[in-house]
Amino acid sequence: MTDRPSILVPVRVLDGESIPEGVPDLLAAAHVVLLGYHVVPGQTAPGQAQMQFEDRATERLDEFEAMFEEAGATVERRLVFTHDGQKTLDRMTTEHDCLAALVPNATGPVEDVLVAVRGAVGIDRLVRVVAGLFGATDASVTLYHVAEPVETDEDVETLLDGMVRRLADLGVDAARIETRVERDQKALDAVVDTADEFDVVVMGESDPSLTTFVFGLPADQVADRFLGPVLVVQREPTDAPEK
Amino acid sequence: MTDRLVDVDPTGENVAGEAPAAEPDAVTDDTTVHDDVELERTIGLVGGLAIGIGTMIGAGIFVFPGLAAANAGLAATLSFAIGGLIALLVALPTSELATAMPRSGGGYYFVSRGMGTAYGAVVGLGLWLGLMFASAFYLVGLGHYASAVFAELDVALSFNPVVGIGLLFGVALTALSIGGTENTAKLQNAVVGVLLVVLTGFLSYGVLDAVGVFGRGTVPEQFFSRGYVPVLSTAALVFTSYLGFAQVATVAGEIKQPGRNLPLAMVGSVLTVTVFYIVTIFVATSAFGADRLGQFGETAMVEVARDFLGLPGAVAILGAGLLATFSSANASILSASRAVYALSRDALLPRRASEINLRYGTPHIALLAAGGPILVLVATGRVELLAEVASFLHLIMYGLMCVAQIVLRRRDPEWYTPSYRVPGYPVVPAVGALASVGLIAFMQPASIGIGIVVMLVSYLWFRYYAGSVTLKGDV
Repeated sequence: MTDRPSILVPVRVLDGESIPEGVPDLLAAAHVVLLGYHVVPGQTAPGQAQMQFEDRATERLDEFEAMFEEAGATVERRLVFTHDGQKTLDRMTTEHDCLAALVPNATGPVEDVLVAVRGAVGIDRLVRVVAGLFGATDASVTLYHVAEPVETDEDVETLLDGMVRRLADLGVDAARIETRVERDQKALDAVVDTADEFDVVVMGESDPSLTTFVFGLPADQVADRFLGPVLVVQREPTDAPEK
Repeated sequence: MTDRLVDVDPTGENVAGEAPAAEPDAVTDDTTVHDDVELERTIGLVGGLAIGIGTMIGAGIFVFPGLAAANAGLAATLSFAIGGLIALLVALPTSELATAMPRSGGGYYFVSRGMGTAYGAVVGLGLWLGLMFASAFYLVGLGHYASAVFAELDVALSFNPVVGIGLLFGVALTALSIGGTENTAKLQNAVVGVLLVVLTGFLSYGVLDAVGVFGRGTVPEQFFSRGYVPVLSTAALVFTSYLGFAQVATVAGEIKQPGRNLPLAMVGSVLTVTVFYIVTIFVATSAFGADRLGQFGETAMVEVARDFLGLPGAVAILGAGLLATFSSANASILSASRAVYALSRDALLPRRASEINLRYGTPHIALLAAGGPILVLVATGRVELLAEVASFLHLIMYGLMCVAQIVLRRRDPEWYTPSYRVPGYPVVPAVGALASVGLIAFMQPASIGIGIVVMLVSYLWFRYYAGSVTLKGDV
């Protein structure tokens, strides 16, 4: 086992998706779980797609694997043919215990990291991702929190100070950490607006609630509107599904 | 996770020089693993039941009641019960085979691995062609329902529209399955759900009515009004209503937790439709008596509904009939395309046959290979013949599956570790095999003749095209 955080990098390997510029360097300190997947319609057996496309998919994954390894990451790779991409992503996250999944977009050298902090839940994983990926770099880390009306300033301070301390414990120089708090804004819009000034966003995958069925998960929405890469920190796997 | 290694090492090559694709290295609850490639399993129990029930229910309820009552009288209920019993006797050993070998191709895969390539080829090609006959049968049924809609609207047509509409829908279905990218699985689940709700409501009313709750009571009728033999020949005719559970096995490679879901989906769908069929025939015959019911032909259920609930009832059953025959035809075309895939994977058909087109990601050649011949069959418009040939080809497969199960149990090779074991072995599979073959004896000579020709051609094709291919597992 390593201290490297496991990051899932899903690539629709046959639909022309590839690893955008800057992404291998972004994940240089990670254990990359490189998932090449291909979604086939219900009329097609996944094995049919495998017979025809396996070689091509493997070739492309070889390329991507080499890119990540060159940048310094450790890589584990999977190739999956499926009817249901989401199921595959969820299964990979669980099987490899991935802390976060990457929505790959191009980026330059990473200098500023925006960390969207929603609340105390899941903060441990958020900290491990940020410290694991950016601890050894000199990128500045901004902890960003949009306070709810019921939260007092003290609550927010306790939350963010605690986080700064834990990041420092894991080797992120406290001088590189900034905190920023907003009020009276919709959290999602605030994150998207602020994200523009940053190179990469780290945020939690929030619980699916009613609105997400209409608008999609907040993380997806941010990823759609923010042009850089987004690291979506995955929820703690609830008790193991299979024995 | 359960790893089950299938110890089969296919060898040989076909005329075109293609060798069978390698077998997977392991099977888990979520995937089939080939070396470093995984094939995700995505169909759950509900999806499996929907495939089984959706394929079957169109025929038994919406096409056969009138024809069956005309042949066997009230005893047609018994014919459906016999069909259901045989289906169950086959579904149990099939479940065992499927949990030991959860791969695409279903019956073809079990027989080829358990008994060898020659049997496998006959079953596999027979399955593909049998599904075409079944599809054509559903499409002709659909044509009858669509024509009944015109009759209902009082649109006078100068020609008989049944075959024309069947052809039209055949073309539409094939085009849809090649070009459609929507989530067809979810649609199928919804269609089956709606059908079950409509039928449950309608049949509950019918049963209450038949036992006299609404003050009409039933005309008492002699049970065996046509004698005993027609009960069996009718059972052979309506057996087409029980072909769907084997279609669950054709997608066995895509079912999640196959050890649990495959037996539940197959046995569950057979039991469900058997109950629905028996109640349907009971209700239908008690409403009109077998003679009048028989005169209404393929769309007799519409008249039954009209008798109970007036025009709204007739409209509801018309709609349900269209939906059910459409979904049955659709499911059969998709299964036929899976059968082509399984055959071409094993080099019994050209590899090109299961090629996927880049635009839609669908196997257009396999789908056309299913959809094209179906049109020719629809054009004959012969409901009973199509149904019986479809049943014949399936019954051969059923018989051989039962035999394969017995063979595998007796030899007990190391790789054969089914997580579900059939109760009552060896009686259940033995009776299943005998009953399957026995039922064939009660079919019309024409159906038997066509069935035998198909089997012969399948065998000759295997000898010519892929004579050196060995698929039999280490048994």
